[in-house]
Amino acid sequence: MRGHKVEQLGIATVGFFWCFLMWFSTAAFSPSIAATYHLTIKDLGLLASSAIWMAPVGRIVAGWASDRFGAPRTFAAILAGCGLVSIASAFTTSYELLFAERVVVAIAGVSFVVGVQHVAQWFDAHEIGTAEGLYAGTGNVGAGVGALLLPRIFGTDYRSAFLWLGMIALVVAAWYLWRGSAAKTMERRDAVRCGGDLRGMVFVWTRYIAIALMLAYAMSFGLEIALNAWLPGYFARGFHDEILALGFTGVAGIQIAAGTFAAVVSFNASLFRPFAGFMSDLFQRKGWTPLPFIAKELPYAPRLHWLGIALILIMLSMIGLTVAGLYGFLPLSIAVLVALGIFVSFGTGGTFALVPLLFPDRPGIAAGFIGGISTVGGIAYPLIFASVNAHVGYLYVALYMFAPFILFYFWAARYERHPQEHGLLGRALAGQRS
Amino acid sequence: MNHVDIRVAPHEPWYKYGVAVLLFEIAVAIAVSGYSLYMTFNGLGGFPGKH
Repeated sequence: MRGHKVEQLGIATVGFFWCFLMWFSTAAFSPSIAATYHLTIKDLGLLASSAIWMAPVGRIVAGWASDRFGAPRTFAAILAGCGLVSIASAFTTSYELLFAERVVVAIAGVSFVVGVQHVAQWFDAHEIGTAEGLYAGTGNVGAGVGALLLPRIFGTDYRSAFLWLGMIALVVAAWYLWRGSAAKTMERRDAVRCGGDLRGMVFVWTRYIAIALMLAYAMSFGLEIALNAWLPGYFARGFHDEILALGFTGVAGIQIAAGTFAAVVSFNASLFRPFAGFMSDLFQRKGWTPLPFIAKELPYAPRLHWLGIALILIMLSMIGLTVAGLYGFLPLSIAVLVALGIFVSFGTGGTFALVPLLFPDRPGIAAGFIGGISTVGGIAYPLIFASVNAHVGYLYVALYMFAPFILFYFWAARYERHPQEHGLLGRALAGQRS
Repeated sequence: MNHVDIRVAPHEPWYKYGVAVLLFEIAVAIAVSGYSLYMTFNGLGGFPGKH
């Protein structure tokens, strides 16, 4: 196979960065779109939430397609398709059509699992954590860059932004097809292509360890996207007086302060992700297995322990967020929140340092399942946060969801040999030879 | 996936550059977070671009 792995990592990272930029470009221009079409707050909420509608199913399909057809073809198809619709949306004058087109453009977010599969096909076990972390963490920054730079470059002219984003997506798609290569070796490519059928999908979906990793990712990335949507409103309501005491005035001032606290969490969760992958590699290299119950003899056991530590830290910091909120001490709440952002990155980076190692013949299907279903957390957590006292919602989620998730993770990761052999169906029923 | 003994496998040359990139990203995260929180806690503004 042609190419060098660093080049493949670069192509995947640029492709994902651009997809993330397109994914969140609608949000960056929502005030301009709202002004053009005289949207209500309800309309804006619908537009904002539409960004993740396609993620659960889309990531499952994209993961399977990357195993079946190879990551370069799948990624290029996503970039080209979303790019063309983005260009079309620049010329649309009907809001209903624009809304539908932006939902289609948001499919760009499913490309995450394709890149995970691509990187897994090129990098070896001892460096997979750092490689996947660099890919995902650097790509995620596209959302922040979009929020910061797009309004500065294009002002309120969202049509020009959508046009340029779409055209550059077509260029990146062509580059991906030209230089991208599906796997390091033909043997590796063939093994994955053969595993990418319906039986392979049933096998992965029914494995306890895959379900545990999906829940781990729901605790980290699912929580990250939930907090992105939830935190600005939480700070505006829960710390209203404290923010006014800082010197901000009016709704706009409170919005700036609350939005900043939320943005800092998101920024840390993205930029610390490569470090989380590096730490997974370091645990592996040093052979650290400090937690009880979790396997210690598996070739990748230390990575399981690193992820276990990350999940415990996420749960503890969620409890800390409730405590800080009930005390009404804003600096403590922000300190806990910054820590939570970093721990979330440990969870996201730790999860995808494991996925290719546990399912080497089906990395796309596994990434699609784990990265897709977990995004439901982004919808579920805010509903729970909103159903109770503003500060207590974090405690409820920590105790009633995260604690059982962690217990399940410990239980599923306890097997000292082939944890992927254990699942809801036996290997034969799941369509695998025993 | 190549299942060599990963506890003794040597790092390839790209790895040190990868670590340098991730350290740079951490430095950016700390700098932007510190700047944003300083501005906010002094009532001066917020995240870059949202003054």
